[in-house]
Amino acid sequence: MDSLINALLDGNGADSIVHTQRLLHAGVSVERIVIEGIEEAMTRLDEKCTVSQFNLLEIMLVGRSVTNVMNYLYPGGSLPAGSKGTVALAALEGDIHDMGKNILKMVLMGKGYRVVDCGKDCPIQKLVDVAEKESPLAVGISGLVTSIVPLVQRVRESLRDRGLGQVKVMAGGAALKQSSAERLHVDYLAETAFDGANYLDRISQEAQSHEQHGTCHGSGSFWPAG
Amino acid sequence: MNSMERVMAAVAFGQPDRVPVIAQVFGHAAIVAGVPLDEFTRDGELLAWCQLKALELYRYDAVFSVMDVNVETEAMGSVLNYHKNQYATIEAYALSKEDNWDSLSPPDPERAGRMPEMLKALRILRNELSDYTPVVGCVMGPLTLTTQLLGLETALYLAIDDPDRFGRLMDFATEVVIRFGIAQMRAGAHLPIVFDPSASPAVVPHQFFREVELPRLKKLFESFKQAGAAVNWLNIAGPVESILPYYADANVDIANFDYCVTPHVASEKLPKTCLDGNIKPLAFVESAPDKITAEADMLLKSFAGRGGFILSSGCEIPPESLQENVAAMVMTARNTR
Repeated sequence: MDSLINALLDGNGADSIVHTQRLLHAGVSVERIVIEGIEEAMTRLDEKCTVSQFNLLEIMLVGRSVTNVMNYLYPGGSLPAGSKGTVALAALEGDIHDMGKNILKMVLMGKGYRVVDCGKDCPIQKLVDVAEKESPLAVGISGLVTSIVPLVQRVRESLRDRGLGQVKVMAGGAALKQSSAERLHVDYLAETAFDGANYLDRISQEAQSHEQHGTCHGSGSFWPAG
Repeated sequence: MNSMERVMAAVAFGQPDRVPVIAQVFGHAAIVAGVPLDEFTRDGELLAWCQLKALELYRYDAVFSVMDVNVETEAMGSVLNYHKNQYATIEAYALSKEDNWDSLSPPDPERAGRMPEMLKALRILRNELSDYTPVVGCVMGPLTLTTQLLGLETALYLAIDDPDRFGRLMDFATEVVIRFGIAQMRAGAHLPIVFDPSASPAVVPHQFFREVELPRLKKLFESFKQAGAAVNWLNIAGPVESILPYYADANVDIANFDYCVTPHVASEKLPKTCLDGNIKPLAFVESAPDKITAEADMLLKSFAGRGGFILSSGCEIPPESLQENVAAMVMTARNTR
């Protein structure tokens, strides 16, 4: 498994596929490859980005290798339902920069989330419609331009108006991270894609823990920031 | 001292009468004048008029002819979407990976896209301001233009998958911006500032910057100096501490540093280069004048013993910034001797 992890971290798509094939031939299950290979590689990339400079190119190369392996393991786009929950992502109306969102999408998929991508230049209404349909753990907004701040400030209220106050709102991106969660009216302001993913891990674990202990009494009442 | 003398004294680590202050006001000039951004960015005469009004209002130490970051790529064939009160965005990139790039030739700045309007703005600004206030044009860095010709994702993957082909496109992009920058100086700019957001360590590792971008930046700045640039000014946003030491090698005279780099670190990495920065851009939208004043005051104190400093924002002052916040930064420098 270490060879696969190293190939993924090296951004070497061809070697990643070779090691995946070798593991499958040795009888290792697809689920194990995903959890012990891909998710482990994402964890190590997170650690590396924490101690040294986070840069887009490196993440893109790992992301491309992860996508290749996932497509090999699940041909025809038959990706598994995310084990950790669903997240809806968007760059809001007026922001056509979707690289940050795409990086977060790759990180979350690599960590076992199901991601619903609402695209760029996305109206709040569309994001809320998707949230209503998909019941996500959270919605994530990536912003590269400062002019979308007023829109970001309206997301939580728009979700609440639709009875979706339990859905967490997370923001990130070069423009938005200059602000604060409080000012943006969001639950969490992520410094990087991995910071955002770790926040989602925390609330995912919290949600699963509450479910196991039966403390959820209907419409998300345990969520503190609804 | 006039603004030009003040800025040049700061660049030379001399004794300006006060610290120069340069608000990086681009589209904000349109908002202040009540002009839609899409008109401002397409009409050189209007741009110059708005910039002169903003200069008269704020009285900072340099004026810019900056439309947006897409002037070169549009002149090369990228299709833009113009928005009334936002900067234009790229709808379709000029090049694709499948194209044959052998026959590419640099656009003529007197004819291609909005380049002639930018030159028109510079002629007006220089005519009005002579040599009293620096008139600053703008070009993209080679890596940034390359990513704008192909799209960021395609360009970066190409850099890894086919570095030779990527390098040839980078060389072409370097030619484009050298030609455009020199045309700007012939039209009246004292210098073109070089914006290179794609070269930020947030996008590519510092080793990539050193091996791929630095040689082209050196060539670019050498060409500008030979063509008469008053100074070489580089603006790369984000966490630039790992690439700052390379700036001296590229003959950068003014190095912009963003809010995420401390004055101490910037000074340590570039001890002999004039620095400009670094108030958080969004603070001009969200904060209040007293906080901007406190931030500006702290920066002036940080550089008091060093010199070689221009008070500024970490990057562009957002168009929708509050006027009182911009004024607070400028007045702090003007009132501090």
